[in-house]
Amino acid sequence: MQNRFGLKDFVLLVLLVVVAVSVWLGISAGDRNLEVLLRIEKRLGDLETSLFTGGDSAKTGDLAKEVAELRTAILQRPVNVIIQGGGTASAAPAEVVPAGSGQAPTSTPSSPSATTASRDESWARPGVAIEWQEPWRFSSDPREVPGFRVGGEFTEIFGAQPAKLTPYLSSDVYGRRVIDEVCDSLAAYDPATLAIRGRLASAWQQDPDGLWLRVRIRDDAVFSDGAPVTAEDVRWTLKDFVFNPQIEAERSRSTLDMIEDVTVIDEKTVEFVFNQALFTNLAYSLGIYVLPKHFYAQFEPSTINQSTGLLMGSGGFKMPALDPARQWAPGEDVVIVRNDRFWGPRTPLERLRYKTVTNDLASLVAYRNGEGDMLTPTSPQFNQTRAEPDWEKNNWSLEWVNMRSGYSFIAWQCGPRNGRLTPFHDRRVRRGMTMILDRERMIRDIFDGIGIVSTGPNNPESPTANPAVEPWPYDPEQARALFAEAGWEDRNGDGVLEDAEGKEFQFELTMATGGEIVERITSYVKGQCTRAGIRCNIRLVDWSIYQDLLKRRDFDAVMMAWSASSPESDPKQIWHSSSILDQGDNFIQWSNADADGLIDAIRRTLDVDERMMIWHRFHEVVHEDQPYTFIRVSPWLRFVKGDIGNVETYKVGLVPSEFFRGAGPVPKPGS
Amino acid sequence: MLSYIARRLAMMLPTLVGITLLVFLLIALSPGGIGASLRVSGGQMEASKAAQLEAYLEDRYGLDDPVLMQYARWLGRISPVKFGARDQVTPSGELVRPPKDVKPLFLGDSWFSDLALDDAAKARLAALPPPGPLLDEAQVLEEHKAATRAYAAARASYVAATRRLKDAVATYAEETGIAGAVDADGKPVEGVLARHDPVDAAPSWQPVQAAALQALESLEAAEAAGARLGRAFDARPFPEVGVPIIPGSLSLAAPDFGVAFSRGRPVLDLIATALPVTILLNVLAIPVIYLIAIPTGMLAAVRRGSWVDVGTGALFVALWSVPTVWAGVLAIGYLANKQYLGLFPVSGLHDSGADSMLYLPRVVDGTLEPGYLLDLLWHLALPVACLVYGGFAVLAKQTRAAMLDNLSADYVRTARAKGVPARAVILRHVFRNSLLPLITMFVSVFPAMLAGSVVIERIFSVPGMGSLIIEAINLRDRELILANTLMIACVNLLALLLADILYALADPRVSYD
Repeated sequence: MQNRFGLKDFVLLVLLVVVAVSVWLGISAGDRNLEVLLRIEKRLGDLETSLFTGGDSAKTGDLAKEVAELRTAILQRPVNVIIQGGGTASAAPAEVVPAGSGQAPTSTPSSPSATTASRDESWARPGVAIEWQEPWRFSSDPREVPGFRVGGEFTEIFGAQPAKLTPYLSSDVYGRRVIDEVCDSLAAYDPATLAIRGRLASAWQQDPDGLWLRVRIRDDAVFSDGAPVTAEDVRWTLKDFVFNPQIEAERSRSTLDMIEDVTVIDEKTVEFVFNQALFTNLAYSLGIYVLPKHFYAQFEPSTINQSTGLLMGSGGFKMPALDPARQWAPGEDVVIVRNDRFWGPRTPLERLRYKTVTNDLASLVAYRNGEGDMLTPTSPQFNQTRAEPDWEKNNWSLEWVNMRSGYSFIAWQCGPRNGRLTPFHDRRVRRGMTMILDRERMIRDIFDGIGIVSTGPNNPESPTANPAVEPWPYDPEQARALFAEAGWEDRNGDGVLEDAEGKEFQFELTMATGGEIVERITSYVKGQCTRAGIRCNIRLVDWSIYQDLLKRRDFDAVMMAWSASSPESDPKQIWHSSSILDQGDNFIQWSNADADGLIDAIRRTLDVDERMMIWHRFHEVVHEDQPYTFIRVSPWLRFVKGDIGNVETYKVGLVPSEFFRGAGPVPKPGS
Repeated sequence: MLSYIARRLAMMLPTLVGITLLVFLLIALSPGGIGASLRVSGGQMEASKAAQLEAYLEDRYGLDDPVLMQYARWLGRISPVKFGARDQVTPSGELVRPPKDVKPLFLGDSWFSDLALDDAAKARLAALPPPGPLLDEAQVLEEHKAATRAYAAARASYVAATRRLKDAVATYAEETGIAGAVDADGKPVEGVLARHDPVDAAPSWQPVQAAALQALESLEAAEAAGARLGRAFDARPFPEVGVPIIPGSLSLAAPDFGVAFSRGRPVLDLIATALPVTILLNVLAIPVIYLIAIPTGMLAAVRRGSWVDVGTGALFVALWSVPTVWAGVLAIGYLANKQYLGLFPVSGLHDSGADSMLYLPRVVDGTLEPGYLLDLLWHLALPVACLVYGGFAVLAKQTRAAMLDNLSADYVRTARAKGVPARAVILRHVFRNSLLPLITMFVSVFPAMLAGSVVIERIFSVPGMGSLIIEAINLRDRELILANTLMIACVNLLALLLADILYALADPRVSYD
């Protein structure tokens, strides 16, 4: 039985070769097409850049500038435009005669007050003060930093994949970070001062009673396709997108439900009407992303609901692909490119890339290997890596508390648990509990030395925090006195405190299961309690059961953390006694008449300074009463490559639109 | 044989139902229950708002129905045989269903059976926009669009009103102390309450009455809007899907796996993006395992007791006992880290610049440009290596054992005695007869291929099926878990059937008739 190479085998072989060759030819043809496409795309990009920014040619630059000035002048004054200076390419400002307002024409405005005088106020409601907004500028101008360069890509490593990037539908923190760069809002928190400053809004007027808000949109604000941002876009975004029950944006719908109506006053003026006067109205309504109606209105609600990356706005960056068939989908890197038509200060970086690496070790290695320029390390990674000899030369290790830093705490059950009061209904006991826990040591030993001791419910960087409040000291002696005052003493000499009836002081600390940190915390708390004569039983439960226990108020003490996203949030949900009912988040059933009064006052008070004073008093009341033992404010940790410039650690976090990529190492921030 | 196959296929249906039902009940009975992820909102939202949001989401995804009804509904959607009116499909490919029924008023049969709207409410209802005309195609489309939106709004406000009513009833029940009227979650129990007559004099009765009136009004508005939408739907704004068998009541249509509520995307889309990645990994890994393990196993059997046998045996078992988590971390820490070897990329499937890469490698100015294909293979090297190394031991040992069984058989001695060359004896006689157990092993590979490897995907940030499934389980995403279960169960059952058929083909002694 010999195998012979027959005709059949030959035909088979030939067929195989033909298939292989045609596959190869096909791929090569595809490659050729791609090459041509890439060339065209590159040229198109160059062209666009030189058209809208001037690129490297001074001539086109001046031209673009002149066109922009002309457009501004025309938009500001629809009549009587007189342009002096003829066709010279100098940057002579266009002289403008105000339209019949009876005001004297101002010659070359030099001070802000002079500008105010000539401002058009026809859009405003008479008799109500207008809050004029300076144009949005860099908080730290990258052009003044040595080594400044335009262009380049910046890659941030995310720890988890954003599920979608469609505004209002995305609900995770990573998605929001991307959307923040692409979509713009009427106003935003100033990165350095946390004051609300106009972005798309050039001015607004707030009802003294807080029931309406009239906003004037900047004349030069345009979306990334060049269409102007109008009042109709704002109205459409809220009324036909967020409030459209077919769009799955119910979370935003719930937060914005104080907006009763949005009306278009004229092309650039929009008015919000509220159904209740709350201090959060201003920040919430000015903080909405303004979406381009002409883009989003072309899609059916179901297309928007199922989209993953339909993202367009008026921010400093834009999504390269806007077609639903080519939109970004989870699994790919998120890439956003500079919006050359951006109306604000020009962002130096060409592209932002967000790459997802789900494993902690892998993300650090990816960062070291140069696959990313910014990384959020874990606390042990931060300490160990920073200690390496050459690390600080080429990297920046940033650690700072900002408005998005949350705080962790142990919450004491102030009300009854299953009908019986816990020892913690007495505030002396709660204060004593705080005093037997050395929070500085906890931060040092449990949290790898990262964090600061928290003093109360307000973020320390926020103006709502009362700087005068000092954390309770670690003082077991004083704690013992407080316990004794409350009736807990060691009456039979067994080392455990008892009350007058001989009942031992014991409680259950409930925690959600989760790794090493939880273990360290439980052993520390248990040890400190034993030392103070208190029996502490630890109960570890799964997160879903944990939430159920919170809802049913079935615990003595729990340890958890609140996150933060803005300098000021409504305290009612967590602290007001009315939130004890209806499974509200006052799960510790803390009821304090002073605090309730202050919370109601905070919610009512529209004047910022006055409100901050009340916030400070509220902070004090919470501190005195210690319904929580406040443990730690967790700072942001970042590693950034040394050639990224102008990385300022702001109170709002980081502002990637101010970063630039230097040719080599650039000076460190703050130096 | 054919009748056997048909019988096996028929048996699969109840098995599939059993598997999915079991998995469904497991999700439903786990702490938090179905859709637990939808209910998280602590601290950011007022409790009443959060409760209404929850009610709204539960209504949208049908989570407020009894567990078995949810399962039956899911079964109805994935079944290719459909009852009732046929679904329609929009030009962009989304299914449009007949409007869902509005739930009856809470305690509407007992407490509020004689509740009536006042004239002002009736006037408000009468002032609702009337249905539009349905004369031509454009009008039908327009009316359907308007009616859909109106119904969504009306239904949402009815759900919110019901929630407010239930809260008011719960407060009332607690105050008047009706035993068992409020369950552990603080929700009123309709069955218990219906047996008690309300005490009108109680101070918390007034809010109940008011909330009931509001709920009734919004119920009627929702019913009107539902009727309007039903009319617009019956006018067939879009083409119908499927093939009718008995028009109007029975039809055949493609299964619909629904939308994963944790991601807001169609389940099939999610699987379609994750599955190719996992299959790619496995298509690379499985041949490597087979090409190394089987020859090694054969060699070990032939040279039984030699250093080859002992050495490979020890090596493979040693590899098999290295945990993947550890191996993956070591691989990243040493092979991928530029401080050490830095030979491979750390994560993902493509380089940052892969979009503008040519497909094939080529040499430009004396340097090699790797191209898309090589870049992909380079990224896959470490995950595939981690997937592969543990698989050698089982397969090699199986091959070795099966070969040894046959090597000592009579027919082998006979073959050798009659002078067949040793090579032919091993390859043609022994190896062929040792294939049976390998066939069983081979089919078990397919289900594993679909399920993906959770550990490897997490370590190397590969967006495959393993990550998808584990996330679906964490978020208790009903649609996604069930679709995955169904898919894996189907492939598993088919693979088992395939194994039995292959058995019969490979071994003439096996017969199923």
